[in-house]
Amino acid sequence: MNTMTDADMTGGQVREITDFIAKYLSYMLGAGVHTSRVVRNSKRIGEALGVDVSVHTSQKTATLTVKEKGGTHMDTMVVDIPAFPISFEWNADLSALSWAAHDKAMTLDEIRAKFDSLVSKPGMNPVFVLFMVSLANASFCRLFGGDMLAMLVTFTATMIGFFTRQHLTKKKVNHYIVFIVSAFVASICASSSLALGIDTAEIALATSVLYLVPGVPLINGLIDITDGHIQIGISRLVNAFMLIVCIAIGMSLTLILVKDSLL
Amino acid sequence: MKEIVWESIAGYNAATWPWQIALAAVAYFLAAVLFFRPCTWAKIAMKVFMVAVSLWIAFVYYMTFGSARDYSNIMTIFWCMMALTWIYDIATHFSSFQRSGRFTAAGIVILFLPLAYPLVSLARGMAFPEMATLLPSSVALFMLGMLMTFNRKINFFAFIFILHWSVIAISKIGAYDLPEDALLAAACIPSMAIFFIRSMNNLTKECKPSIKAVKALILSVTLALTACMVLVLV
Repeated sequence: MNTMTDADMTGGQVREITDFIAKYLSYMLGAGVHTSRVVRNSKRIGEALGVDVSVHTSQKTATLTVKEKGGTHMDTMVVDIPAFPISFEWNADLSALSWAAHDKAMTLDEIRAKFDSLVSKPGMNPVFVLFMVSLANASFCRLFGGDMLAMLVTFTATMIGFFTRQHLTKKKVNHYIVFIVSAFVASICASSSLALGIDTAEIALATSVLYLVPGVPLINGLIDITDGHIQIGISRLVNAFMLIVCIAIGMSLTLILVKDSLL
Repeated sequence: MKEIVWESIAGYNAATWPWQIALAAVAYFLAAVLFFRPCTWAKIAMKVFMVAVSLWIAFVYYMTFGSARDYSNIMTIFWCMMALTWIYDIATHFSSFQRSGRFTAAGIVILFLPLAYPLVSLARGMAFPEMATLLPSSVALFMLGMLMTFNRKINFFAFIFILHWSVIAISKIGAYDLPEDALLAAACIPSMAIFFIRSMNNLTKECKPSIKAVKALILSVTLALTACMVLVLV
């Protein structure tokens, strides 16, 4: 099944496998994959390479122990989880890699080469994302009953908010501050529809910040808790809750400035 | 509401017309210096002028003369944010106010479109002081003209705010009987396509989807926005 059999595995080889699996799982967790899938995939790659893998995860770090099957060599490593943008592509590609490693009996070098090629794929074009997010929010506005003018206002208000977010993120500003500022900017721009007397102005105002809602951490948090990864599940939910509070702060600032009330 | 708006415009024009002429003179003087003898002081002076004229619209036009309008405080905040985009530009040199050699003619046409505002008002049979002069849309149009003429590296923050203002302007055409504002939307929507497509050409790292696909998306959105604006007007 594998070139690295139980008989000829050395401590150095176990260390190499540990290094790779640590990198693999940190990339998956960083890209927003739910924990049970990360653990399953890591174990599958370990299986393909002839080792047992045990993983403990938390919000910022992961600990893994790799043990030679039927042997005495083992290695433990604590790895930081990098903060990558949410990537469904990495989720799918890296999961497929674990199956390929298992089914095709790939060597560690082959798996590593494939992994490097997958994670070095070009990223999304920021202008493309800017336009798609603005279109998505304008569509939400329509779904909630907004008229044509409210949709246009939502489109441009989202564009301003999201561009602000992209710019501040690039400047490495704290992401809670990014959320507060982006929510404030988008909602204050959308509130201009109130001054225009648009019938559905409040729908434009409410939908202008929807692009900030942390959907993936919310879903992952729930999945993690239901799968038994309670600690990281709660961490992810708390993180998502903090982001929602930031959106609320940004929007509240707008409402207090514009309407002198939060309602 | 329409009557209140025009009364506030008339009051604003009657009280501030010498200031408006002075601001327009400074604007075109600085634009001419940047065009014929570009230098650092002129670039900074133009950005400072952009801040000043944005604050003028915020505090003089909206807060003082437009205070009778509903939610005029929102517009004050919006124009303060416009001023912030230019302050940020001064601090970070976001835009360079340099010509790229492309779209200069279109930029010059847009630059002079604000002067058409009072002419259109006169052609509609209106008389001073109840006419379109140095209003928010004409200021936004001047800013757009500057960005288009000197488009080597532009202030995208300011541009997206101007784009948002063009949507607001569209709604004012029918609501306040201000057809002059169609000039801003007509200039702004094609500018969106030009600026974003140019930003695609300047991309240094490989991205996906392909640049061709993103350009097609930008053009599609431009057409969709135009169609939506026409539908709003109809």
